[in-house]
Parts: sequence; C-alpha cells; structure tokens
Amino acid sequence: MSLNRRQLLAGGLGLGAAAGLSACSGLTSKAGSSAPSGGASAGGPVELTFVNWSGDEEKAAFDAVIASFQQANPGITIKTDTVPYASVQTNLDTRFQAGNPPDLFRVSYIDMGQYTSQDVLLDLSASLDANAFEPGLFSAVVANGKPYGAPHQIDTTAILYRKDAFEAAGITNIPTTLEEAWTWEQFTDASNKLAKVTKSGQSAFIYDWQSAGAYRWLTWLFEAGGALLTPDLKAAAIDSDAGRKTVDFTSGFFKNGWVAKNSSVKSTTYPDAAFQSGTVAMAFAGSFLVPTINSGVKQKFEYGAMPQPRDVAASTDLGGNAVVAPKSGKNTEAATKFLQYLVSEDAMRTYCQATNQLPTLKSLTASQLDFAIRPDLMAPFVLQAKTLTPEQVAQVTVPQFANLNLALQNELEKAFLGGRSAADTTAALAEAVQKAVQ
Amino acid sequence: MSQAAALAAGQDAVTPAGRSPRRRGRSLWEPSALLFVGPSVLLALAFLILPMLGTFFYSTQKVSPLTGDTTPLGLENFRTMLGDDTFVRALLNTALFTVITVPLSMALGLALAVLMNSVLPGRKIWRTVVYLPLVISGVSVGLIGTFLYNEVIGVVNKLLVALGASSGIPWQSNGAWAFISVVLVTLWIRVGFSMIIYLASLQAVPPDLYEAAALDGANGWQRFRNVTVPLVGPATFFLIIMNVIYSFQVFDTIFVLTNGGPGNSTEVLGTWAYKVAFGPTRDQGYGAAIGVVIFVLTLVFTIVQWRANRSRDEVA
Repeated sequence: MSLNRRQLLAGGLGLGAAAGLSACSGLTSKAGSSAPSGGASAGGPVELTFVNWSGDEEKAAFDAVIASFQQANPGITIKTDTVPYASVQTNLDTRFQAGNPPDLFRVSYIDMGQYTSQDVLLDLSASLDANAFEPGLFSAVVANGKPYGAPHQIDTTAILYRKDAFEAAGITNIPTTLEEAWTWEQFTDASNKLAKVTKSGQSAFIYDWQSAGAYRWLTWLFEAGGALLTPDLKAAAIDSDAGRKTVDFTSGFFKNGWVAKNSSVKSTTYPDAAFQSGTVAMAFAGSFLVPTINSGVKQKFEYGAMPQPRDVAASTDLGGNAVVAPKSGKNTEAATKFLQYLVSEDAMRTYCQATNQLPTLKSLTASQLDFAIRPDLMAPFVLQAKTLTPEQVAQVTVPQFANLNLALQNELEKAFLGGRSAADTTAALAEAVQKAVQ
Repeated sequence: MSQAAALAAGQDAVTPAGRSPRRRGRSLWEPSALLFVGPSVLLALAFLILPMLGTFFYSTQKVSPLTGDTTPLGLENFRTMLGDDTFVRALLNTALFTVITVPLSMALGLALAVLMNSVLPGRKIWRTVVYLPLVISGVSVGLIGTFLYNEVIGVVNKLLVALGASSGIPWQSNGAWAFISVVLVTLWIRVGFSMIIYLASLQAVPPDLYEAAALDGANGWQRFRNVTVPLVGPATFFLIIMNVIYSFQVFDTIFVLTNGGPGNSTEVLGTWAYKVAFGPTRDQGYGAAIGVVIFVLTLVFTIVQWRANRSRDEVA
C-alpha cells in the first residue's frame, strides 16, 4: 500500500511555481523550521482561546498538534472553541464587538481581506519566514506587503468518480495527469454518456459551487483564460469572450440535464452528500471532503479520483485556511508562538496527513506525505494545486471578496435556473463586481 | 363573601381585623407586585425594548462588523432599499406570503375548529394532531420540509412518481413551486394555532343561539354564517393580528427550507435582513433598516386593524 502510494505521489507532489521550488530548503529560525521550545511568555501560565470550525478528522488533528505544542510549552494551554462553519463569522464579529476577541482563530483565504482591510490582525512579519512558504499561497495572507496570518493548509478541488458508472457508460480514457486532463469537449462527451446511464433521480455529476462555494465557478473561468478582475484588482474583467463562454458552458450543465437542478449555486445540496448517497456519477469535491466521503461510501461502490477538465489552461480553486491572531489580543506573544508551531514542518505534516489537506511549506510540497485516508486518491488534488497562480490568488483575496462571491451566487443562479443569456449574465456580473471593488 | 368575591362583585372589600382603614389607600401600591412584575419587565427591557431602540439607532448608521464602530448615515440605508432589487422582491414576496397564508390558515383553522367542536369521534386526538406542529420549532419544521420537498430524493416526489406521475415537481429549482412548498409547510404549522383559538371561542358560544336559529328555520350554512362567524369575531380579530405579524416576521422555516431560493423567489424581509446583517457582507446597519421596515409595516397594519375593529364594534 505504502509503496503504491509513494509511486503514485512521486510524480505529483510539488506545489506552486517551479521557480519557487528551486530554493525550497531555505528554512530559517523563523516559523516554518522546527518547533519552538521553551516555556511560556513572561508572566506565568497563559490560556489561549482558539476559535475554529472542524470536521472530526480536523478536530482530532488540531488536538494532536495542540497537545504536542503544550508539551513543548508547559506554560501555555490552548482551549479550542469549535463552532459550525456557517456561524463562525457571526461568532467572531460578536467577540470583536464585545472587545474580547479570541487569541487565535481560523480564517478562509477568501475571507482574509475582510479582516486585513479593517486592520484588526496581528502583523506576523517578524515571526514568519516568507521564503519557507509557496509564494503563491503565502500571498493569500499578505496585505500591504505584510503577512497577517499563518498559511496553514490548502485544499483543491478534483473529480471523484464512480468506477461502475464509468464502466456502464464505456468511459475508459481516465486522465491521471494535468496534461491528460479532459478538454471541455471530452468532458461534454463523458457527461452525455453518463447522463444516458443514470437512473431517474440520479445525474452525471455535481459541482461544488453551493452557497459560499460560488467562487469555485471561477475555476471554469480561469480554465477558459478569463479573469474576474483586472490585474490591478480595481475593475471587473468578467465581461469578456472567456466570461461569456464560461457562463454558456456551465449553464449547459443544467440545460443538458448533467446536474440536478437542486445543486445550483444557492442550494444546500452539497457534493459530499450527493456522492455518498449514490445520486451522482462524478463529484467535484475538495480534498478535505475525502475522509467524510470515504466513511460515508463505505463499501457501497468503488471510486477513483482524476483532475478537473481543462480548456486553454488547467485550474482549480483556492480552498483552505490560515490561522490568525488579533492585534488587540491579550497574549499575542504566546499566540505568535503557537502560530509558528502550527506552520512548522512537523506540525503541518501531522495535520495535513491526518486530514487529507495539502501543505503550504515548500519543504513539504516538495516531499511525500503519508495521507491517512485513501492516499491513492490524493495525486490529482496535489496536481491541481500546481495550477494556482499568484494572479488568481490575488483576485480571490481582495478585501471586497465577500461581495464578489455574493454577486457570483446571485447572478449565476439567474443564468443556471432562470435561463438568462451568457451576455446578460456577464454584463450583470461586471456591474456588480465593479460596484463592489470601487 | 370572601374579599376576592366582594371585589369581583364590585363591593368594597371587608377590612381585615387589626388593620387600620387608613392603609386601604396604599393597597394600590403593593411592593410585592414588583417581585411579580419585575422579572418580566427586566426581560422585556433587556431582550425587547433595548434591542428595538438599538435597531432604530443602527438603521441610521454604517456599522463596522468587527470593531462595532458606527458612522452616521442619516437615511442612506433607507434610500439604498429603493435601488435594491432583492429588497423589493422580498417585500413583494412577504406581502404575497401574508395574503395567501393568513386567510387560508384561518379558514382552515375555523373549519377544523367547527369539526372538533362537533361530535367528531376521537376529538382530543385530532386536536392534538393538528396542534402538534405548532409546538415544534420552525427550524425543525423547515428540516422536515426539506425531507418532504427535496426534488431528487424527497418523499413527496417519490410518492408522486409511485402514483404514476412521469416526473416529480421541481420544488427546489422552480421559483413558483418553491413558494408553494413554503406556503404548504407554513399552513401546516399555523392551522393548529388558528384552530385552538377558534375552538376556545366556539365553546363560549351559547348553544341556545343555535337552537333559536334552528327554530327560525336556518339551515347549517346559515347558522354558521349568521351565528358562528359573528360570534367568533373577536377571535378572528386576534388571529388576523397574530398571523399577519407572524407572516411579516417569518424567518426560520424559509431560512431552513429554501434559504430564499431558487434565485430570490422565496426571499422574504426576514431572511433578507438576516443575510444582509449576518451574511458575508455583514452590513448590520442596512439589516437593521430592513428590520425597521418590518416593524413599521406590522405596526401600521395592527393600528389599521385595531381601528377598523373598534369602529365595527361601535356600530354593532
């Protein structure tokens, strides 16, 4: 098993630009190297509150990392406060407004801009070594040239597929590398074949753009060579040929009956639930869902993983989270120490391996990880991570991204379920985006 | 005659032995009343009056979601509404939802109450069955709704297909059907409330009125129309007010069942206010302004109803 996994991963691992990898060993005494040791900050024992959302595997992994941190730092204890993802923002807002923010909390990369724009996060310039991280990913936590969070992990989307459905549909050209990834035409062909073999109530696939995941539609836009914002991030760039082509193609998922109509961008039908219940032949899903899906599917059917389709380019979405500390925190010294530990090589490896998430440290992206659950599925996710460019990361981490994500959700829904034309949709999107970034 | 009975009969209470008659004047102010009223007043102040005043204040401010800092905006938030398509849609949806659910739930409630007030076998069981949804939380009812109306794996569509329909109904992807699913679930919850109020009212109607009407030759419908309906008038007035307030403020069921979708087809003022204030954009000032609109609409409706009802009583 281990040998197979290593063989599989050997070709795949390595995130970010090739140039970034050439200097991957330059870890300094700052975070990203080894775990800091020694006691608590001056002034006796400290208890830190860490607000996060976690699945079962993530919670166990956080607990393990925290336990080893506490062992190395006897004066610091960390109390985790696990809240549902849906209410984490309200929870944090309330704590901030009450003047009592937690010492540490988890933030999605796409939400970083909201916090940095309000200048409430601790500047970690002196505590993190930028060179230790993949440059494209590190840029997700940087605002005004300074890092305001520890880039803890990323997750990317790839396709999980049912082997029995592929056999029934006669699909044999299953890609294993980005170069072999299906073109949009090949994807169309496969979806049509799958739509023919699915039963009533089943569909060819489900895409993971529901609710706050609306921004994952950008993967298709980036594949078509389009952009949401201009390079200076100050204006909309969506009303373009690539934009219209993407709206047209993705609206086709609904028109052609490839996806269930209740899996649109505003729906609460998520890909992991649909895949586990056996109603879809393919699911575009983040690697972080692999543990959940695997325990849900059990032995009901066999499934594999492959990269997302490509058009003029291959692409994926920037999923994943940083851990940050508020600058007004009472124990910033101890909190910084924990953040440094969290993104140290050992802690990051432990966390990523246990949760099927991908690391942000160059030293780890260049090495092999022993993922705990279905490691044989992880190669496509790792490959997809290579496709993220700093330009794309910049577009999804602007301070106004919450508004942009909402605009995507509202306008795409009108195209997908309301049948609005591609030209009208990109024009409406451009208007909403323009309004948000000004 | 006991003191309470004497008071009820409108006579002076007998002064208890050993008490000076002069103390009677002070009995209007009874310090122990504070113990009874105090907790309710405090709770109402903390959770009703202060938040309401806060909402009025925040509706004129721009609120920074993290620091809580406020910047005065005047009526800017209210002006924003005029250009906010989703707000307009939510307002229309709320009105439509109210116009459909209030009369329907009351008519069904009255019909059921009349049935339960008659010689229906197993009345107590039926009453409980109809009333039960009311005591379940709106969130649970919404969740039950999602099991029923999921267009792929829901019970209703499976049943329709099993009964021979070629395909299920697009409860989640078609706006009109999604709206109907919300109305159906709401009726399920509200009918029980109307029924129980009407039932109490019906039981206070003197049976001799029906006997007199029957002797005068009134048939069943005429007895219902000319005796029952006027005599349950106060209950109808109460129910209109309560149901309209409920319909204007509806939130939990829709939030869980459709989350305002597909598109904005089931968005109502309550869900839109919540999404604006606590969703990703976190515009708490604007959310509060929408809350104020809900308050004003409900208040205006209640005043109009109250005045109309009072004048009707005076005419009667």
